[in-house]
Amino acid sequence: MLRNTLQAISITLCMTVPAWAGDMVTPTGEVMLSVSGNLNQTNADGAALLDLEMLQALDQTIIETSTIWTEGKQTFEGVSLAVLVEALGITGGTLRATAINDYTVEVPLTDAVEGGPIVAYRLNGETMSVRDKGPLWLVYPYDDNSDYRTEVVYSRSIWQLDRIEAVD
Amino acid sequence: MSQSKKTDFRNRLIMTILLGFVGFLSIAFLTINVARDLRLLNSATSDNVQWTLSQAEVEFLEFEIILDAELRDSVPDLVQLRRSFDIFYSRVQTLAQASIYAPVREVPEFSNNLTAIQAFLAQTVPTIDAPDETLGASLPALSEATRAVRSDVRKLANSGLNFFATNSDARRERVFDTLFQLAAGVAFLLATLLIFSLYLGFLNRLNVRRRLNAIQTSKRLNVVTSTALDAVIVCDDDGRVLDFNAAAVQMFGYSAEEAIGSDLGALIVPDHHRAAHDAGMVRMRANGEKRVVGKGRIKLEAKRATGEIFPIELAIQSAEVDEGEIFISFLRDISHRVAAEENLVAARDRALAGEKAKTDFLATMSHEIRTPLNGLLGNLSLLKDTELDAKQSQYIKNMDTSGRLLMSHISDVLDITKYDAGKLQLRPVVMNLSTLLQDIVDSQSGAAAAHDTSLSWAWSGTPGDWIFADKERIQHVLMNIIGNAIKFTRSGEIIVNAQVVGDITTSPDVELTITDTGIGMDAALKSQIFDDFMTGDASYDRDVGGTGLGLGIALRFVKAMGGTIDVQSEEGKGSMFTVRFPIKPAVPPVSMDQTSQDAAKLPSAHILLVEDNEINRMVAREMIYAQGHTVTEAHNGQIAVDLAATQHFDLILMDISMPVMDGRTATRAIRASNGPCANVPIVALTANAMVDEQEAFLEDGMNDILTKPLSRAGLINLITYFTSETGGCATQANTSAPLVIPVHLAEMKEALGVVATDTLLAQFIDEMDQATVSLSTDLPLEKAAEMAHKMSGSAATFGATELRKSLNKIENSAKTANIPAMHAAIQNLSGVWTATKSLLRVQ
Repeated sequence: MLRNTLQAISITLCMTVPAWAGDMVTPTGEVMLSVSGNLNQTNADGAALLDLEMLQALDQTIIETSTIWTEGKQTFEGVSLAVLVEALGITGGTLRATAINDYTVEVPLTDAVEGGPIVAYRLNGETMSVRDKGPLWLVYPYDDNSDYRTEVVYSRSIWQLDRIEAVD
Repeated sequence: MSQSKKTDFRNRLIMTILLGFVGFLSIAFLTINVARDLRLLNSATSDNVQWTLSQAEVEFLEFEIILDAELRDSVPDLVQLRRSFDIFYSRVQTLAQASIYAPVREVPEFSNNLTAIQAFLAQTVPTIDAPDETLGASLPALSEATRAVRSDVRKLANSGLNFFATNSDARRERVFDTLFQLAAGVAFLLATLLIFSLYLGFLNRLNVRRRLNAIQTSKRLNVVTSTALDAVIVCDDDGRVLDFNAAAVQMFGYSAEEAIGSDLGALIVPDHHRAAHDAGMVRMRANGEKRVVGKGRIKLEAKRATGEIFPIELAIQSAEVDEGEIFISFLRDISHRVAAEENLVAARDRALAGEKAKTDFLATMSHEIRTPLNGLLGNLSLLKDTELDAKQSQYIKNMDTSGRLLMSHISDVLDITKYDAGKLQLRPVVMNLSTLLQDIVDSQSGAAAAHDTSLSWAWSGTPGDWIFADKERIQHVLMNIIGNAIKFTRSGEIIVNAQVVGDITTSPDVELTITDTGIGMDAALKSQIFDDFMTGDASYDRDVGGTGLGLGIALRFVKAMGGTIDVQSEEGKGSMFTVRFPIKPAVPPVSMDQTSQDAAKLPSAHILLVEDNEINRMVAREMIYAQGHTVTEAHNGQIAVDLAATQHFDLILMDISMPVMDGRTATRAIRASNGPCANVPIVALTANAMVDEQEAFLEDGMNDILTKPLSRAGLINLITYFTSETGGCATQANTSAPLVIPVHLAEMKEALGVVATDTLLAQFIDEMDQATVSLSTDLPLEKAAEMAHKMSGSAATFGATELRKSLNKIENSAKTANIPAMHAAIQNLSGVWTATKSLLRVQ
């Protein structure tokens, strides 16, 4: 577990820092995630639309963990929720995350901490199709922290994620 | 008992603690279980599985609805269709792969349905992924396939839900079990705690009760000690006073506050005992040696606050308490008792001194009175033998009677003194009781006739004439009683009756009754007549006179003989005195009784008379001459010793108090010498007839004592006795009664038979011969005493009285380490033995 943590941290540090300075760019590829609500970085009508490229521009975090929905260890690549919240200047108390099938969960902003969940865009080096719970999956480092092995966190681990609304 | 109680208590405590520990362990174990279960519940492995299962059906239905809608649509929205398919696909993948569904995948129904659905998906994927035209064309077929798989999706969800419901039941069951166990464990622990607390409560109650008891006991003790009459002082092993009760305060004059904490030694031990007390305390602390503690009551001295020393009685006990050993002393002030005791002792001493003064007075008086009286009577006796006319003879006879009466009074007083000193010695001889009674009756008939009274005697039953008894004492007793009977009877009758009671051959008693018809006595008088100085009816006093000692002496004599004297009387009717004493029957001697005849037969003896008083010497000399013996005179002991060293005498008569050398010293000198008279019998002549002195004379080596004043009969008897008995220096011994009492041997022969008796006798003679030789060698004193004692016993058995006497003398002088007396006795022994032996052989 410790090794995993160290690995995660070391990888984090090696990553290139900031993406978009000044005005936020508009997505060039297919929009993967739209963020709305209380945020100060937008590139559309009160919302921030992000494609894979933009997500990848943000600091990447890798989590190696097993999940209850998969078999064996999985390697998730993605952007830390904390980084995303920072990058988009999200304020408020809660993130209302919604999946393609309109399944919605509420994630408290306090979950967005270093070592916390990531918005994964790659599983075991591959981008995820809808059939593989893609394109985005909110993943917590379950193995590293027992606090994340709870019913509530499992319910927050939303897959096929495509919308986030920052609310109070 | 308290030990076992203690152990019991400890065991119970250990049991309870163990139970508690087991309870605690089980609780801990169960708590771990619960924690594990809780953790399992906490780290949910399930997600909202039911929801997901239902969601699979929901997403399938959504896909189906979209599919049906697109079928009807002329321009179908294939993007939405594809997405809903993908969502369903993703859901089924989750069910097929997720670890939380691994258990449910084991359920055959679930896995069958899953396989069917997966097959449908696999079959459908190429159609969905095909270009829009192809997909559009395939929609009716797809709808058909979808409808076919619908029941599978439903069954999948249902079977999954069933499984998880069952699973959840099982888990609830398990949690319930664990919680139940936990509850049971807690209940058990609580029960243990309850028992423990009950037990503690019980112990507490017990302790409270004990404490109360202890407090009560202590209160009671306090009351006891504070009200005790004895001083009670408690101190520790350093001698510090811990408690000092009220009696102690009163006794010693210190207040309790002053005393408590002080050193006991400094407080109450007198200065002259301090060193010993301190040493005792040190000794006790050093090695626990206790000389006073627990030794009961001890008399000591104590000191008051005023410094006054007073006697106490003290008892100390020690007790072990938490603080160490304590000592509880009970002290009693015994000043009063000691004073009373001292008074008593002083009173006793005064009484004893008075008694001694009385005895001394009596002894002195008897001496002072007897010596001149001796001279008077002796001269009267000599005067009688001169030529006298009838008148003169009558006067002399009267004087002689008066003198003898006076002498008998003095003798009475002396006899009482002797008896009371416990030293009255009997002189048993072979005698004829009939003759004695006849003599007495003859001698008293005149006096009785003067009162117009008849006096007679007779035997009842078999007469017991010859006996071995103290004739003089019997005569004295009878004379006294008969004399009294005559005194108090007028014109009446006095009958003396003699009777042998018991078997004549063994050890009979003789009973003598003296019955008169005189004035008799009332009960009060009867109870007093044996008291000293008792003189009876005052109205008769003038008439009858007397010292009032007569019956007192009679009683003493009878007691000395081992007998009793009793009186029955009725006032006005008369009295009956009964005298009873044990007798030893004796064989009548062949020819005897008339000493004068006996004496006449004896060869003339040469006697050394040692006497400083000229009158006494003359009287004695004349009496001895009259018997045909020769006398050599000596004025004092030194002359006697000188004479005895050069010539042989058959008998030495030795006065005690003499100038130059007294009789005792002279006797010792003669006995110690090897002169011709070393073994000659020496007889003390003394008016000093005190018993203690008589003993001393015998120890000096004297053979007998003749009390002054000398009587002719007494002197003749003595000379006869000694000159005929002694073998060593005197002429050949001939038959003489006191040497051997023949009746013993006769009895023995009767009992054992002649042969056996002869054998025993031969053995005795043999042993005695050896003993005589052994004793003359220098035996150790102890051995000599032992041998003499043993042979003395044998001598008694054979009736060899003189031999026994000689042996006793040896034994006594050996025991008292009186060497000269022992040598004298040993030298005397061979003569006695030779004579005795010849007599024994003859018999």
